[in-house]
Amino acid sequence: MENNKSGFVLVLIALIAIGVYSSIFVIPEGRQAVITQFGKPVRVVKNAGMHFKLPVVQDVRMIDLRILNWDGYPNQIPTKDKKYIEVDTTARWQISDPLKFIQTVQSERGARSRLDAILDGITRDVISSHNLVEAVRNSNDILTVIENKENAAQKAKAETKGEERFLIEEDIAGEVDPIEIGREQLSELIVKRASTELAPLGVTLIDVQLKRISYEKSVQQKVYSRMISERQRIAEKIRSFGKGERAKIEGKTERDLKTIQSEAYRKVQKIKGDAEGQATAIYAKALNQDSSFYRFVRSLEAYQKSIPNNSKLILSVDSKFWKVLHEGK
Amino acid sequence: MAVYDVTPPQNEMDRIKRFFSNNPLSFIFILPLILLIPAAVTSFYTVQPDEEAVVLRFGKYLKTTQPGLHFKLPLGMDRSIKVKTKLILQQEFGFRTNSVSGKRTSYASNGYNGESLMLTGDLNVADVEWITQFQISEPQKYLFNVAHPVDNIRDISEAVMRRVVGDRLVNDVLTVGRTEIATEAQKLTQEILDRYDMGVRVISIKLQDVNPPEPVKPSFNEVNEAKQEQEQAINQAEKQYNKVIPEARGKAEQQIAAAEGYATELVNRSQGDAERFLLVLKEYRKAPQITRERMYIEAVEKLVSRMNEMTVVDPKVKGLLPIFSGQGVSGGK
Repeated sequence: MENNKSGFVLVLIALIAIGVYSSIFVIPEGRQAVITQFGKPVRVVKNAGMHFKLPVVQDVRMIDLRILNWDGYPNQIPTKDKKYIEVDTTARWQISDPLKFIQTVQSERGARSRLDAILDGITRDVISSHNLVEAVRNSNDILTVIENKENAAQKAKAETKGEERFLIEEDIAGEVDPIEIGREQLSELIVKRASTELAPLGVTLIDVQLKRISYEKSVQQKVYSRMISERQRIAEKIRSFGKGERAKIEGKTERDLKTIQSEAYRKVQKIKGDAEGQATAIYAKALNQDSSFYRFVRSLEAYQKSIPNNSKLILSVDSKFWKVLHEGK
Repeated sequence: MAVYDVTPPQNEMDRIKRFFSNNPLSFIFILPLILLIPAAVTSFYTVQPDEEAVVLRFGKYLKTTQPGLHFKLPLGMDRSIKVKTKLILQQEFGFRTNSVSGKRTSYASNGYNGESLMLTGDLNVADVEWITQFQISEPQKYLFNVAHPVDNIRDISEAVMRRVVGDRLVNDVLTVGRTEIATEAQKLTQEILDRYDMGVRVISIKLQDVNPPEPVKPSFNEVNEAKQEQEQAINQAEKQYNKVIPEARGKAEQQIAAAEGYATELVNRSQGDAERFLLVLKEYRKAPQITRERMYIEAVEKLVSRMNEMTVVDPKVKGLLPIFSGQGVSGGK
């Protein structure tokens, strides 16, 4: 009797212990819980901490509450302007309705495979219905930048600052078309479309980022060769500009040289002419005083000057010369 | 004591056994003692100077504690997670630091092209390597709001860098745009990470090597070479100009100076001649006839004295008659 009674008490204590233990559960931070009763979800608990449930009949399923990330496979997608690019997207998502979640996709793994399918498809649709620039650029600021550079180039051209002009022209290479919506808007478009498909799964899409956009291998080669030829064109232009400048300077050298030489010649001639004129006037003025005397003096001088030393003199006896010598007359 | 202890104890074990068999309620005192040891061990924790600790009570966030010794509820009721919040964490894009040994750090950038190659606004390609440095500013958010914070930071960094570079010209990216790109990327990255409320502060984004893609590099160098060539051509031409023109100027001045000399000389000589003539004329006029004859005779004399040989010919005489020969003239006068 005594034994029976204490045994019963022990069993009771054990049962109570088990009951208490199985009615307490702890939700750690970053988790949420779905309480199921005989497999049927009855409620959701999102607060971390210690919680209670009915023992035995209710089960707890823990589900992530944190922001989860999804990384897509790089996809080869042709854009609207027929450029083959590889797009690598990444997204952040959260399980916002755990009830729907466990009913539709059951686990994170299930959700990921649905995300793969939905996001890949929508990304493909969105990218291929827009031009490449829309996925690359986010604004049309670059057009203003180019415009400013072009204005500066024009100005430099007007002021014939050759070198600066080339630096600016060098900057503007490649294809720049205006965009209509841009990169961020494309991401938002993807989010918007995917969200409607993901809502029934209890999943909220926070954002989609176009992580990488690169040219497809064969396109990349073409882009590289375009870049190369552009650089070469610029290099050639710079070189030929250099040659042109050199020719200009050489021309200037020749012009300046000729100018200097001919101006000098002109001045020399003028100076000489002036002097000669002056001399002529001086002579004329003086000699006009007695032209016959001048003629006489000058002819004597001329004899002296025009007959060289040690010459042979042949005189006729009837010459005045001989008479002066011979007769002192 | 004497009541229970009838026989003296044989050893310690016996003593303990007897103690328990004699006192059925004694385990009530022993059990807390056994529990006390693990409880004591788990009731405090130390936080290192570079850390903060996040304390959870029954899984729920309670508080964040600073470096030092702290107490908590034992036996798993409170849990502390230490997070290195003072540490600056770094993510590398387009390269990896291989080893930091001694003074030299080695880097690898092969195989990370996927991270660093990106399209620029003019649809060219640039190879941009950068680092993103961040710090955990709110550890509980870092731990519990986002599943893989580092993966997110990497993804966002890449997306943002492409967005920033995507709005620029390739040449600006390669040259003047560096700081601007880094600043803008940092701002945008922080904005996006704040949207996830993940308790991370972006300290800085720094661009490392920014290059044209490998196959295109030589042609970029060619442009630089062309610039050098251009300068060289212009310099050479200018050198030639500077060599020729100043010399020509000097020569021109020399010629002009010479001409001026000539002019002065000519004028002076003519004036001299004129003065001399006038002076002679003045005297001549006083006795013109005799002066004329004197001058003539003197001139003849001077002339004949310079002659080597003189022959006088009489037109009435047939044949030549040499009168003087040799230097008879100069000697005889």
